[in-house]
Amino acid sequence: MKLALHAVGHSYLGRAVFEDFDLTLNPGEVVALLGPSGCGKTTILQIAAGLIDPLRGRVARAYRRHAVVFQEPRLLPWETTLANIGYGLAASGVARAERDQRAAARARGVGLPPEDMGKYPIELSGGMRQRAAVARALAVEPDVLFFDEPFTAVDVGLKRSLQDLVIAAAEAQSFSAIFVTHDLAEAVRVADRLVLLSGEDGRVLDRRAVAGRRGARSNRDIFEMVESWSHEPIFAELFDPRRQD
Amino acid sequence: MLSEQTAPPSLRRDDLRPLLTGAGVVHRLSRVTGWLGRYIWAGWAGLAGLFCIAAIWQLGHELYGSFILPSPLETLATAWKLVSAPQFPTIAATTAERALTGFVLAAAVGTMAGVVAGYSFAAMRLLKPIVTVTLGVPPIAWIVLALIWFGSGNGSAVMTVVLASMPVSFAGALEGVATRDRQLDAMARAFGASPLRRFGTVTLPHLLSYLFPAWTTTIGSAWKVTVMAELLSNTGGGGGELATARALFDIPAGTAWILITVGFALISDYGILHPLREAVERWRSAGLPWGVKR
Repeated sequence: MKLALHAVGHSYLGRAVFEDFDLTLNPGEVVALLGPSGCGKTTILQIAAGLIDPLRGRVARAYRRHAVVFQEPRLLPWETTLANIGYGLAASGVARAERDQRAAARARGVGLPPEDMGKYPIELSGGMRQRAAVARALAVEPDVLFFDEPFTAVDVGLKRSLQDLVIAAAEAQSFSAIFVTHDLAEAVRVADRLVLLSGEDGRVLDRRAVAGRRGARSNRDIFEMVESWSHEPIFAELFDPRRQD
Repeated sequence: MLSEQTAPPSLRRDDLRPLLTGAGVVHRLSRVTGWLGRYIWAGWAGLAGLFCIAAIWQLGHELYGSFILPSPLETLATAWKLVSAPQFPTIAATTAERALTGFVLAAAVGTMAGVVAGYSFAAMRLLKPIVTVTLGVPPIAWIVLALIWFGSGNGSAVMTVVLASMPVSFAGALEGVATRDRQLDAMARAFGASPLRRFGTVTLPHLLSYLFPAWTTTIGSAWKVTVMAELLSNTGGGGGELATARALFDIPAGTAWILITVGFALISDYGILHPLREAVERWRSAGLPWGVKR
């Protein structure tokens, strides 16, 4: 067990977002938190990552280091790409020279060319910025990684390659991860199992394992799984065009 | 840590430290010349504005004559005479010492109080009315009080400068901290950055863009208030000379001293604050169409 949430509940301004949420994250496991916008999945992730304190319930952590990839790149505009990737390392006290070396190696790993290292975030394209954000998270060599709808703002082709990047990194570094998304296909591609949340009251509608090994599922497998699941009533909310964003 | 030998070819030390190589020197040179070029260009634009003022001034002079308003050239000649007089360095040093001491104190105290108020709502509630009241009291009233408390000397001029110009730094710092990017702050917390590191890497760079305009106003008002305090308390310096010029109806000397004071304010702004801002906020020009000159 790397991380466990016991009977966690949270409210904003007196309105309960979700109640009695339980989740256990096992070593090397990627769990997708799936649900329509506003179901509280980002709040759950923030509680798990310790960014906000839950009003009810408790969180148990059994790991040394974690990192977060946010929906927005959240790079420091006044730092170069290299310094941004090394930010987590700097925060954990890694010396400048080593930090730069490790950040540069990570940057290459996520497909950022060396000539971009001295650029400021505003000079990078949106996709490059998100790559840098992923590199920043991977650079600290985390035991647990939190992904908060990280690839919603990038185009389809880039999304695919960033997902593959995450799958490969999870394989190589064997970290556990919580991956928040509202995209069923993305969840099926990157996760070992999914937790489906309701947009109505934030309760868990379903927990299910995704067949096959992550990374080894073909596009056809993923397509067929998504196709058959999307006809189930519990997934209807995800595909409901009338739902409120 | 990777040594230089084990690093793959795309990641040699040269890539990370281009300043050490031959190409790096060229880069660095072009950066300096680019910076100088933009600095001179900005100066050129500023000069054009100043000449517009001079033209209007000349028009006033031609309408009302030398006794009411000496011409710009006449003033310039008088100013030159005053500046090259042997006692000028002493006079200038007196005023500069008071103005700059006042500025440093006002900027330091105002900025620190503003940062505290920006972080703490309680402190903000408490300090904001105090600052509003301080801002509402005319500097001339402070001088009267300061003269009673400190007598005529450096103290009263400096105190007046501090009280009159501190609220601007305070408001700038408060606004800067209050509008810090909370998303970036959450990111820094997620990566385990300490509060001090978060202040240094997330809040401070953002804060600076509020502080520099505030400090520019603070330093400008420091010169103005110093001269005013000197004039009223007759304690030497540029203000003292202005008082003498008024007593003798020496209008060219009066306008010349005004010109000299403005010159001081310009020098402190463009000589100290602007280059500092250029150096600290280089990342900002990355967003401009011509990018960062490296």
